Amino acid sequence: MSDTRFVNQRAVGTSVLPDEAIPLVEGFGRFLNDIQLPGTYHVAFLRSQHAHARLRSVDASKARMLPGVIKVLTGSELLGKVEPFRSMPNRFSGGESVQHWLAVEKVRFCGEAICAVVAESRAIAEDAVELIEVDYDPLPVVSDPRMGEKDDSALVHDSCTNNYLIKREYERGDVDEAMKAAHLVVKRKFRIGRKQALCLESRGCVAAYRESTFALTVWMSHQLPYVVRHYLGKHLGLHENEVRVIAPHTGGGFGQKASIYPEEFVCAHLALALRRPVKWVEDRLENMVASTHARDQYIELQAAVDREGHLLALSSDIWVDVGAYSTYLWSAGMEPLQTAGLMPGPYKVPALRYRTRGVATNKTPVGPYRAVGRPSASASFELLLDEVARRLEIDPVELRQRNLIANEEMPYRNSNNLVHDHVNYVPCLKLSTSKGDYAKLREEQKKAQANGRLRGIGVSCFAELTGLGTTTAVGPGTLLQPGRDAVTLRLETSGVLTVAAALPSQGQRIMTAMRQVAADELGINLEDITCIINDTATAPYGFGTFASRTAVFGSGAVIKAAKELRQRILACGAFLLGVPVEDVTIANSVIHTLDRGKSISLREMAEKSYFSAKDIPEELNPGFEVTSFYDPKRGSFAAGAHLVAVDVDPETGEVKIVRYVATEDVGTIINPSVVEGQIIGGIAQGIGEALLEEIVYDEQGQPRTVTLADYLVPSALDVPRIELHHANTPSAALGGFKGCGEGSIIGALSAISCAVADALSQRGGDIHEFPATPERVLRGLGVLPGGA
Amino acid sequence: MAREQRIQVTVNGRAYDKVVPVRLSLADFIRENLYLTGTHLGCEHGVCGACTVLMNGRSVRSCLTLAVQAEGAEIVTIEGLRAEDGTRHPMQQAFHENFALQCGYCTPGMLITAIELLRENPDPSELEVREALSGNICRCSGYQAIVNAVLAVARQGAAG
Repeated sequence: MSDTRFVNQRAVGTSVLPDEAIPLVEGFGRFLNDIQLPGTYHVAFLRSQHAHARLRSVDASKARMLPGVIKVLTGSELLGKVEPFRSMPNRFSGGESVQHWLAVEKVRFCGEAICAVVAESRAIAEDAVELIEVDYDPLPVVSDPRMGEKDDSALVHDSCTNNYLIKREYERGDVDEAMKAAHLVVKRKFRIGRKQALCLESRGCVAAYRESTFALTVWMSHQLPYVVRHYLGKHLGLHENEVRVIAPHTGGGFGQKASIYPEEFVCAHLALALRRPVKWVEDRLENMVASTHARDQYIELQAAVDREGHLLALSSDIWVDVGAYSTYLWSAGMEPLQTAGLMPGPYKVPALRYRTRGVATNKTPVGPYRAVGRPSASASFELLLDEVARRLEIDPVELRQRNLIANEEMPYRNSNNLVHDHVNYVPCLKLSTSKGDYAKLREEQKKAQANGRLRGIGVSCFAELTGLGTTTAVGPGTLLQPGRDAVTLRLETSGVLTVAAALPSQGQRIMTAMRQVAADELGINLEDITCIINDTATAPYGFGTFASRTAVFGSGAVIKAAKELRQRILACGAFLLGVPVEDVTIANSVIHTLDRGKSISLREMAEKSYFSAKDIPEELNPGFEVTSFYDPKRGSFAAGAHLVAVDVDPETGEVKIVRYVATEDVGTIINPSVVEGQIIGGIAQGIGEALLEEIVYDEQGQPRTVTLADYLVPSALDVPRIELHHANTPSAALGGFKGCGEGSIIGALSAISCAVADALSQRGGDIHEFPATPERVLRGLGVLPGGA
Repeated sequence: MAREQRIQVTVNGRAYDKVVPVRLSLADFIRENLYLTGTHLGCEHGVCGACTVLMNGRSVRSCLTLAVQAEGAEIVTIEGLRAEDGTRHPMQQAFHENFALQCGYCTPGMLITAIELLRENPDPSELEVREALSGNICRCSGYQAIVNAVLAVARQGAAG
């Protein structure tokens, strides 16, 4: 048997056009809201208008009388029937939070669901919601985490003293000694506002009773169908194998669709209770308050450096406003623990200390969103590095080079206990600064200043831990430690290949990626390969799509399974050709001898193996379906260095990005155009995070930015043309792949934040709160009162 | 006021005669009555642009338009962009070839807006493309590939 693979032109590394995009471009995608089962009932939720209140009474009698209303469900009716969401235990847990699917006794944030109305149409359900009368007894509101942790604060949950849902203190190395002995200690504050993933398609579900052989089938706009299946079974008291979960075409996920929420579980309960299909689609106003928020942090940090600017120690204090409940499965620890633990990023930090807390407030819960925790960790640290550079009069790029983990120092264990290897931090920085002509940018900045214009330049370097296997935690200290996913390869009776995995796509083209890898590994034509990635009834077990893991796990498992499947195909093919197995290989979906004298198509081989099995010895015809699990063990560090120039208008406070150069190390690339789209898309979200996007609450816990007219996401005019370069180095994972979905948002927030601060520093100004809205920029310049 | 009204409307070249609730939006009419679900709803308050369709040759937000306002109108949705023989519209093909969509949710509105732009301005600059698309939110792509696709169609001179 020949081990010569890649007889075809290699598919991995080329921008294969994604067939999976064709239905979407032609208008035949099937998103959740496109699913219409006969006899469907529609659900609308009554939501709390108060941030914190006792429910004195809920009177749904008028709603129940409205023609077309089937049922009004309240929280008390669910008590004892279903299991509420309890915060997942965590080594660093504060108190426990219990979230009823529909509020019982108390509401804890504006938008919390109180009642579910089931009606014949969505319009009637919404009309009925208006008829429900709720008598609220308002309670004191916790709206600031730094006030909420004080002993005299009101409590969101009586079980959480000082409102701590998460608390962790960590120290490695002697930080105090380093601070004492240092040439310079620099302190800085950083604030990042609340964000929303803002998937263009909101959440939703269709839950059906007795579709096919399953008691419960749920179509759900979600990233983790198998995990949803497990927890639907657990909370509804069903066996897991009575439940089927399907993720249809999904209009964006970004982590927001990786958590478990009450609404879909209420719908599943209703479908079982009513024995009818039940549909709920979140509208945008609901989405802004009922789907998880992100970030919302206050950071105080200080670094000790020597005379040359080498870091000696880093210490941080972090408060995260995590909202009213511990986000189900992931816990409230995502932002507090990852921001703190990952703050060193790609830099050598000999001594590290942090104190981090997730403080409950009367706001929408904070959950995972693209690059959890790392954007603010990186931005706060990079801004601090710029301040070190200014104080020591070292160029910011030079300072970073002195502190980055160099390739020759790897493997390098940093003070946060993570090991860096197979990653190009310094080469990324060098490529960005050379491609962007950093020296010239600085000259132009001086000229601009001489002409009275405010130009700022920002540089950031980041490390992004991707494709986390079983030995590295996704959420430190949480129970949910994913790290093993399966792929099934099945040669169908006509010789085409099906790749099945539970790794749904929200636009990442994972099907195309796995097809490319399978084509190379097996010698099967791309057009002969299809994928199933979204259905627990047809895919082998997998955790799903999050944490920049999907391409790493999916491709790795394809490689493992293909090795076995290829051997089986070659053995059977050699028998049918009447030659030794050593003499055959596969290319272009044909099994042929190495001298190309004899051949048999995969189609013919497959047909014979299935339909004329009696003619083939059993040991050579074991079936052509192979399932392999893959665990990359460690994660792989991806990396990048971004270089940004901005112009700040000192009169309006507007920030305009005039140059954006990004270099990334994303390992071996499967599909360059897809990767480019992931990176540039992440940068666009980072631009929103740095300059535009913020969910604002007032002191009474009322959200003030619940429409897209108030919550500003970047438009085509806000995102400049991005210059993208690569300094890739293969990871240690199978195929050398790394994740590429999240890193760029980190670099974008940091580099832009640094650029804005750099611009303001030209006039003695500064900025500590982000996004850098015009108002904050003008305050930073001293044009408006209030300071930075 | 009557709760329902009869409308006659042409959608993607096909004539419809339907009685609809007066409060029904054009988007819901297209999606739920005609089963043309390629038009998407992203915000239902006219900001995101995903629901954009052509009404008598001009782009409109179908979420802010009532079905009864389309009385007598010609509507084109994403499903109506392909030629009769099934060939994709040059803009659809360019979106595909330029990797100009990821999740695909904004795509219907982007295509309609881009087609309207090139009809009015067959040779736009990059800035003009970005201005024309600035009322359509894409959360995935960062817009660069979309802008590339529109410029590619303009270069082909195939605005259609």
